[in-house]
Amino acid sequence: MPDFDAKKVAEIHQHLHSHLPSEPALRVKALETLLVDKGLVNPQTIDAWIEAYTEEIGPKRGARVVAKAWTDPEFKQRLLDDAPAAIDELGYLGKATAHLKVVENTDEVHNLVVCTLCSCYPFSILGIAPAWYKAAAYRSRAVRDPRGVLAEFGVDIDDGVEVRVWDSTAELRYLVMPQRPAGSEDMSEDELAELVTRNSMIGTDRDLGRE
Amino acid sequence: MDGIHDLGGKQGYGPIEVDDDDRPFHEEWEGREWGIAQCARTPGITIDWWRHCRELIMPVDYLGRPYFDSWAQTDFSTYIEAGWMTLEEIAAGKSLVADTEYGEPPSAMTLQQVLQEDHEHAIRFDGEIETTPVFNVGQQVVTARHGHAGHTRLPQYARGRSGTIQAYNGAHIFPDLSAAGTEVHQHCYNVMFAAAELWPEASGSKDKVYLDLWESYLSGD
Repeated sequence: MPDFDAKKVAEIHQHLHSHLPSEPALRVKALETLLVDKGLVNPQTIDAWIEAYTEEIGPKRGARVVAKAWTDPEFKQRLLDDAPAAIDELGYLGKATAHLKVVENTDEVHNLVVCTLCSCYPFSILGIAPAWYKAAAYRSRAVRDPRGVLAEFGVDIDDGVEVRVWDSTAELRYLVMPQRPAGSEDMSEDELAELVTRNSMIGTDRDLGRE
Repeated sequence: MDGIHDLGGKQGYGPIEVDDDDRPFHEEWEGREWGIAQCARTPGITIDWWRHCRELIMPVDYLGRPYFDSWAQTDFSTYIEAGWMTLEEIAAGKSLVADTEYGEPPSAMTLQQVLQEDHEHAIRFDGEIETTPVFNVGQQVVTARHGHAGHTRLPQYARGRSGTIQAYNGAHIFPDLSAAGTEVHQHCYNVMFAAAELWPEASGSKDKVYLDLWESYLSGD
């Protein structure tokens, strides 16, 4: 059981700063070695988690959710009303999505998601967050200079469009529903899912089109 | 705590390193750490205590070391604090207690079992409480001017600011106490702030910033 002793943890961090090897791979190796030596972790379970988040769980799930919402108005309504239940229909409910909220882009509104305090992310539908999402530059600037951030992603937002930034400060997680591209009426759900980029579901991409 | 982790609105971190890299892990050790964090949690730990332990990393390490490296250091700190391992064992690179200390080692989980566990890990943080919410949707509120030394989810940039209740989220586990081991629910709201209320350079902007905030962070306008 933890003692929830913050002073002690600060001292531990100071000690680790001086005594752990500098190379991250060696630090993680040391951690795993000790956990396995103590019989607290099975290394094959670690392998399985890596496989799950490399092969099975990732932004393709989110893209499927968006494409289905574009083609099925009733699903879209369920998604906007109760996103966890809607993604559970597809088997995608899981880690960090029990309080998912979907925010919809329109001609007048663009949504952008950030976690300024750590790096909260809806794992079970988007997988592992991209490096930039977890970096200080994005976390510091997304709430203060969202248009400047978007410009660096090649996204220019018209002055008439309102930018809404969602800072994930609680256990709610956000998924942006990008706008369906113009001229995509003839496309199937499978084809549409191919158009949905990971960044568009975070909000750092806006105008999706045929590649 | 007013720590290095509270990055919203801080300046000087430079441009975004935009890349098209879709790989979840870029180094093998990143995946190992992700896996460790999924399957090695000390009994009684709360997500807020884990987050607080990450916030307590020295600023030079918090900013200077890779992302998953900070997870590894957070894990080390929670394991040591909870008595799962010692600094001496880390130095020795092996366990210094009898094999039987922790019981039988866990058996290997398959991919299907892990996927099932991920599905079951859709943990809800809301619950029933007896009090009714103090604020209504559409009401003006002001956030607390100061935080405290412990874990909190009211960022510095949104303190002492006026906002509008945009939605009621239900009663959620209050992180400030959960990080100290006490899980109590408190009403939580989505609060909308005009960018111009938060940032001097946003004067005249119609952009908005939305935060999910607990009732004790807020007071009536």
